[in-house]
Amino acid sequence: MGYAIRTEHLRKVYPGSKGGSAALEDLTLDIPDGRVYGVIGRNGAGKTTFVRIAATQLERTSGSATVLGHDVATEERAIRTRIACVPQESRPLYFLNVEEVVYLYLKLRGLDPAESRARTRDALDQLSLTEFRRRSVARLSGGLRRRVLCAMVLASDAEILFLDEPTTGLDPIARREVWEAIRRAIRERRTILLTTHYLDEAEALSTRLALFERGRLVLEGTPDDLRARVRYPYRVTIFGAYPLEELQSYGRVSPIEGGSLVFARENESRELARMALEKGLRVSLGPVSLEDIFLEVVGKAIDDETPAPEVEA
Amino acid sequence: MSERNRLRSLLTLVQLNGLIPIRTQPLYLVNLVASPLSFLFFIWIVSKGADLAYGVVGGMVLTMLSVGTGLQSDLTHYRHDLKFQDIVVASPVEAPVYVAGLALSELVYSLPALAVFAILFVYYGFATVTSSVVLVGALLLVWSFATAFAFTLSTYFQDVRETWMFSPIFSLVLTVLPPVYYPIGYLPGWAQIAARFSPTTYAAELVQGAVGLQPLTFSTATIDWVVLVAFTAALFVIAAFKARWKDP
Repeated sequence: MGYAIRTEHLRKVYPGSKGGSAALEDLTLDIPDGRVYGVIGRNGAGKTTFVRIAATQLERTSGSATVLGHDVATEERAIRTRIACVPQESRPLYFLNVEEVVYLYLKLRGLDPAESRARTRDALDQLSLTEFRRRSVARLSGGLRRRVLCAMVLASDAEILFLDEPTTGLDPIARREVWEAIRRAIRERRTILLTTHYLDEAEALSTRLALFERGRLVLEGTPDDLRARVRYPYRVTIFGAYPLEELQSYGRVSPIEGGSLVFARENESRELARMALEKGLRVSLGPVSLEDIFLEVVGKAIDDETPAPEVEA
Repeated sequence: MSERNRLRSLLTLVQLNGLIPIRTQPLYLVNLVASPLSFLFFIWIVSKGADLAYGVVGGMVLTMLSVGTGLQSDLTHYRHDLKFQDIVVASPVEAPVYVAGLALSELVYSLPALAVFAILFVYYGFATVTSSVVLVGALLLVWSFATAFAFTLSTYFQDVRETWMFSPIFSLVLTVLPPVYYPIGYLPGWAQIAARFSPTTYAAELVQGAVGLQPLTFSTATIDWVVLVAFTAALFVIAAFKARWKDP
């Protein structure tokens, strides 16, 4: 297994930032090739800064970063022929139609017209956009526009695809169509760096994940690695009344409507589930979700906009 | 990227930013004819037709400069509102190809205006081999420095509204105040000196001289070409070192 992206002590301070605070601090990360690598974090966590440095759109302040073995600071040209990017908040040119967006992007990258046409047809088909192919971008919903941009880069010949919040604004069905297209890209052994606010999306698609908070890497690994690193890797949901003091002896308790949610270690969670069943209560037991992990590590939900407390790397 | 692929990218940009928008909204073509023809009309009224020939030369220079102001707006809009420049940066397309492609696409918009002025140029009996060569050369240099200037500025703008503020100033300083639409002798002495800071003064002087509107000695023509080429080269050097293709 090789690495698509590697960083060492990567740091970014934007010119003119207040007090010289870093948007990205001491990031050392190895991203394997041929997989989906998820980057999650709240707004301002440093996800987009990292993507933009790796996609050669933004200068780094210090440290190093290589993409496919090439330095992002000195070998941009070698990198750019092998990458494609859907930037956060990007929109397709509104005067083009759907087919033109994809086809002209491929021609812009230097692909010949016949290949561009064939790839465009496939990509539109994969993302269920064929019926909209002649429709002007100006007449598309926000979600469809994002889908067109995804089709555009997925149709390319790039080895690494940077998808920065690609499914924002998409309905659940459209999101799953994008997921399917991403999975197909993986079968072609391409690397995808995916940043997302949707933790279910990150979990469903990513082989490995990095959790960013306040410009720092807080957790990194496979979803199972991440679970193993938290204090309580299992969640027990109990429907019905159960003495709170007893529950607290098993782990961390959160009240939910009609019952309690308990985060516990494996043995304790099994024991608690057994006890609850013996009391005739309805119980569900499973590993914690990525959302639970995020909440435990960061101390805030991913969509919480307030500053988080200091976290340990 | 091979030369063939560079050419393909360039032509794709012309199609993408020139031909397709015009197909969608043909009124774009009228837009670039409107300003130079308005000036021409004004000059015709005020001079009772006597200085109309200057208006023809000035109209061509203004049309080429309009390519620069149009490019400036498009580049800023694509960079900030659509993030299209970021998409292009993370692709094999290089900055000079991107800028040249968009600058050529802007030229497509100006073709009707250029056609109108070319007809008037022939109508006034200006079209000799020498004057045509001088005209094309001078206009190409105006187009080139306007492109380099527009690209550099656009990479510093934070919003497309800043370009709306800047474009009229750009036109005022480069086409209205300098003697593009009239002979330099119409200006008072101090203004003639100030006009020498504008590269369009040299372009207009060359064309006005080549078509016989103004006397132009060999040495003056040489100085005009040298200044115009040097100014254009300087703007390209500034663009190469100061324009932000990759954000700082």
